[in-house]
Amino acid sequence: MTQPVATLSNTSIAAAKVKDFGQFLKRLLKSPSAKMGGSICLVLVVTAIFAPVIAPHDPTELGVGAALTPPNSEFWFGTDEFGRDLFSRMVYGSRLTLYVGLIAVGISMTVGVLTGLVAGYVGGWVETALMRAVDVLFSFTETLIALAAVAVLGPSLTNAMIAVGISSIPFYARITYGAVLVEKNKEYFKAAQAVGAQHVRLLFRHILPNILSPIIVVATVGVSVAVLSASALSFLGLGAQPPSPEWGAMLAAGRDYFKRAPWITTFPGLAIAITVLGFNLLGDALREALDPQQRT
Amino acid sequence: MTRYILKRILSGIFTIWVTTIAVTLLIHLVPGDPVQIMFAQSQSTTPEQIEQIRSQLGLDRPIYEQYFMYMGRILQGDFGTTIRGNQPVLELLLVRLPNTLALALSALLITMLVGVPIGFFAAYKRGTWLDTSLMTGAIIGISIPSFWLGLMLMYVFSIRLGWLPVSGTDFKNLILPAVTLGLANAAAVSRLTRSSMLDVLSQDYMRTARAKGLAETLVLSRHALRNGLINVVNMLGLQFTYMMGGAIVVENVFAWNGIGRLAIQSIFQRDYPTIQGFILIFATVVVVVSIVLDILYVWIDPRIKYS
Repeated sequence: MTQPVATLSNTSIAAAKVKDFGQFLKRLLKSPSAKMGGSICLVLVVTAIFAPVIAPHDPTELGVGAALTPPNSEFWFGTDEFGRDLFSRMVYGSRLTLYVGLIAVGISMTVGVLTGLVAGYVGGWVETALMRAVDVLFSFTETLIALAAVAVLGPSLTNAMIAVGISSIPFYARITYGAVLVEKNKEYFKAAQAVGAQHVRLLFRHILPNILSPIIVVATVGVSVAVLSASALSFLGLGAQPPSPEWGAMLAAGRDYFKRAPWITTFPGLAIAITVLGFNLLGDALREALDPQQRT
Repeated sequence: MTRYILKRILSGIFTIWVTTIAVTLLIHLVPGDPVQIMFAQSQSTTPEQIEQIRSQLGLDRPIYEQYFMYMGRILQGDFGTTIRGNQPVLELLLVRLPNTLALALSALLITMLVGVPIGFFAAYKRGTWLDTSLMTGAIIGISIPSFWLGLMLMYVFSIRLGWLPVSGTDFKNLILPAVTLGLANAAAVSRLTRSSMLDVLSQDYMRTARAKGLAETLVLSRHALRNGLINVVNMLGLQFTYMMGGAIVVENVFAWNGIGRLAIQSIFQRDYPTIQGFILIFATVVVVVSIVLDILYVWIDPRIKYS
C-alpha cells in the first residue's frame, strides 16, 4: 500500500521539479547578465579546449619574434622580453585559469559543504566545534589563510590552488550549515526520518539536493574569487612560476618592462578581469533565476 | 549591551588564542625539515649551526612544550629574530604596521566615500539608466584585479602624467595605493549599499514622510540615508578586514613598506619566525578593530538588542 503512494508522490514531485527547472531556465535565458556571463565563460572554455588549434605559436618558444614587439598583425598581443608570442601564451593561460578556478572551488566546496552538512545535521558538540572553527577562519581574510597555506606548502601553482581552495572553505560551510538548519525543520525531512531513513541517505538524498541552489550560486561566484586570488598569488611570485603562461605570473613578469612594453601587463590583466566578470555575471543571473523574490 | 560587548571580546580572545596554536603548528606542517628549508638558500650554514637553531626554536622538544615556550616568549614581547640578519621580528613588524594601517584606513575612507553614494543613487533611481550604468560599473569594478588596477593607475598618473611618485613612504606615495585599494572595494560596497537602501526606501515610514509633505531632500537625508547608513556602518568591520587582506597585495605593487610586503619577502626567504609573527599581529589587529567597529555599531543603533 505504501509503495504506490510513494511512487505517485515521487512522480508528482519529479514533475513539479521539471516544471520548476523549466521556469528557472526561462528566467535564466531572459537575463542579459546570463547571456553575457555565459558567453564569456563559453569563450574561455572553448579557448582552453582548443588552445593548440587557436594559438599560432608554442607558448614557451623563445624568439618567435623580436623581443618586446608591440601588437601588430603578426603578433596580435605583441611579444614579451624573450620574444615569445603573447597571444599564444594568453590562449594557453586560459587552460590554467580554468583549471585553477575549478580545482580551488572543488576543494573549498567539497570540504566546506561536508563541514556544514555534518555540523548542521549532527548538532551538539560536533556542531559547536566545527562552526567555531569556521568562525575563527572567517575572522581572518582569505588572503591571510592563503598566504599561511603557501608559506607551509611552498610557492607553486598547485599549492596556490590548494591555498585558495582552503581559504574559501568557511563560505561554503556557513551557507550549507544555515541551509541544513532550515531543511531539518521541514516536513519532508521529518517524514523521511520517521520512516527510518539512514543518516547517509537523509544527508545526501534528502537534504543535499534541496540546498544545492545557494551552493551553486556561491560556487559560480567562487570561481571568479578563486581566479582573482590565484592570479594575485602568482603575481606576488607565490603561485605559478616562469615560464608558465599563467596570467598573473605573466603580468608580474611584465612589470619590469612596464614603461617600454605596457602591452605585456595590459592583456593578461584584461583577460583576468573579463574572466572574473563572466563568472560574476553568471553567478548574479543564477541567483536571480533561482530566487526571483531576491531580485532587487 | 554590556553582555554583548563582553561576549564579543571573549570571542576575540578565543580567536587570537586559536591563532597562537595555528602559528605554532604552522612550522610542523611544512613538508620536510623546516630548518633545512629555511637555510636551503645559504650555503655557509654548518650542520652544527642548524642543530643550534633547531634547539633555539625549540623544535627538538615535544610540541606542547614548544607551544608553552612560544606563548611564554610572546607574552614577554619576544617574537623571535629573523633567520637572516637576526633582527627582532616584533620590532620589524611594529615599525611597518602603522604604514599598513594608514593604507587600510585611507582606503576604507575612499571605499565609503565612493561606494556609498553610488549605491545610494542607484537605489534611488532604481530601474533607470543611471541605476543600470552604475551597477554595470560596479560589477566591472569588482572583477578588476587590484594589482592590475594599481599598475594601470601607476602607468597613467606616475609614468605618463608624472603627477604622483611610483613608490616611497611619504603621504604623496600613499595616494595611489589607497585609491587602488579603495576603488577595488568601492564597487562591492556600492552593491551592498544599493540593496540596503532599496530595503529602506520601500519602508512604510518613507511613504509617511512623503505623505506628510516633507521636502524630498529631507526625506532622503533624514529618513533614507540615516537608516541606510546604519547598515553601512555594520559593513565597516568586514570591509576593514578586506582592506587589510587587500593591502598585502597592493603594498607589493607600490613597494609600500607595510607588514604585507614584509610577509611576502619572509615567505620567499622561508623565514618562519617572521611569518608566524606576521600572522599573529595581522590576526590581532583584524580582531581588535572588528570588535571596536562592532561596538560602535551597537552604540550608533540603540534599537538593536544583542544577547
